Amino acid sequence: MRRRKGSLVTEVLVWVIVVVAILWVLFPFYWTVITSFKKPADVFRLSSIPWLQFTPTLSNWQTEFTQRGPEILRGITNSIIIAVFASLLAVALGTFAGYGLARYRYVKWRNQSMAFWFLSQRFLPPAATVIPFFLLMKSFGLLDTRTALILVNTTFAMPFAVLIMKDMFRELPVELEEAALVDGCSRFEAFWRIALPLAAPALVATVIICFSFAWNEFLFALVLTYKKATPMTIIIAGTEHTQGVQFWYVSTRLLLAILPPTLLALTVQRYIVRGLTMGAVKG
Amino acid sequence: MKRKVREKGNVFVVPAILWVLAFTIFPLVYSFRISLSKVLYGKIAGFAGAANYLRMFGDYRFWGTLRFTLIFVAFSVCVTTLIGLGLAIVFNRKMKGLRAFRSILTMPLFTAPVALGYLGVMMFYEENGPINVLLKYIGLGKVPWLSHPLWATLAICLVDVWQWTPFAFIILLAGLQSISDEIYEAAVIDTSSGWAIFRHITLPILSPVLGTVIMLRMVDAFKVFDIPFSLTSGGPGTATRTLTFYIYTQGLRNFDLGYASAMAYFLLAITMVIGLLFFRRYREIYE
Repeated sequence: MRRRKGSLVTEVLVWVIVVVAILWVLFPFYWTVITSFKKPADVFRLSSIPWLQFTPTLSNWQTEFTQRGPEILRGITNSIIIAVFASLLAVALGTFAGYGLARYRYVKWRNQSMAFWFLSQRFLPPAATVIPFFLLMKSFGLLDTRTALILVNTTFAMPFAVLIMKDMFRELPVELEEAALVDGCSRFEAFWRIALPLAAPALVATVIICFSFAWNEFLFALVLTYKKATPMTIIIAGTEHTQGVQFWYVSTRLLLAILPPTLLALTVQRYIVRGLTMGAVKG
Repeated sequence: MKRKVREKGNVFVVPAILWVLAFTIFPLVYSFRISLSKVLYGKIAGFAGAANYLRMFGDYRFWGTLRFTLIFVAFSVCVTTLIGLGLAIVFNRKMKGLRAFRSILTMPLFTAPVALGYLGVMMFYEENGPINVLLKYIGLGKVPWLSHPLWATLAICLVDVWQWTPFAFIILLAGLQSISDEIYEAAVIDTSSGWAIFRHITLPILSPVLGTVIMLRMVDAFKVFDIPFSLTSGGPGTATRTLTFYIYTQGLRNFDLGYASAMAYFLLAITMVIGLLFFRRYREIYE
């Protein structure tokens, strides 16, 4: 199938499908971008080609950054801090556990049961833990703090990091570490000096994917924060309620919320399939 | 290295295990206790036995949300998998430039679902929104996307399909690409029908991957909250409230914590069944 040289008709058909798929994916992004450069009147007249059908204006962005600047800045800062700390923490814990699962055989709890235990977190609905989490954070005085969201997002991303890193370490040749042990390295040094640098690209990719998860998280942010610690996902949710259908403002915030993880993810294409299937399919 | 059983490998796994115990298992146990309790004004006020669980059966709003959730899951899983499979077959050929396009197609996966909901509000806007204008050009009337229960359901499904079709696509493409050319070459000798090759060779080899996609899609669809919250706020009325949405409203807006926890356990049971199926299928991978 793959090798067969298609006729001209199939060739053309394939490219038509490819183009339609790309337009289907890109159009909403395009629409958001142009809406953020439109004057209100142009938004409701429906116009889609800049300069021809409407004159682009920077005024929405100016208003957003001057009048609502502090709010947006706070949202972005919170999102970055939460996502960076949560992803680093998750990947740190996940790397250790992944290495352990790949290189040791555990007797009391078998490796497989531990792996399943981590895997099962992927199937856990957030709704099941949001209520106890809210009550716990309330009693610890952690409501509306970034700490609470860092804890939550680490919890969500960590099992993912464990399974991906386990896969990555398993694919490294064990001989290198054995040689290091023979040369007098301790077990931990063999991990730290040999295995970890070799797994570095995978490690970075895992951090990026965990970063996107944490950046996009919404339910817990909605429940656990209300003012000081609100990330971007909540800031955009707030716009709609207070501003009605002011699409020209909404779109600027949408872009600020959407772009960082979407662009970052373009750099980890090699690891996406593994990442999305918890290692069940190798891409 | 794996042979040295009694070495101190615990150092590596213990922190992660403790973390899960503290931030997942403990909250789950706690919430199980709440689900068995009577809760008044956000405070536990005595043991309620299975009352909260039994209440679900008599609650027509619960059945409504369950029905919507099931419709959503069925639609979203089927459509994303089918379109994803179609696209994967199209992209599974040696042509220049396809890799770059493949990357573009994965972009929706990493956009915040809540943002997509608001983006949907713009796209589905009834007066002069781009989708309705397009439909007008084709000669169809104005579609009440967000004010009619049926259309609102479709709108939510479409946003979800937009976001998750790339998921099915990229995983199935990886599955297709792992099938070796020799198999096809051998098949071409026996039959010349593309459909026969697909039906009797591609599909059986692809079926484990297809299973993975369907199971993971199902779990994610059952958990959906962000898109209905931002696109329709569960409306019009309560037509598009999902289970998670109802749990959120009951538990964290009305503070009916016991009942919400019981429903959360119901949802947990569904997703855990899918999780067990997944694990049984891929046991070897996780040893």
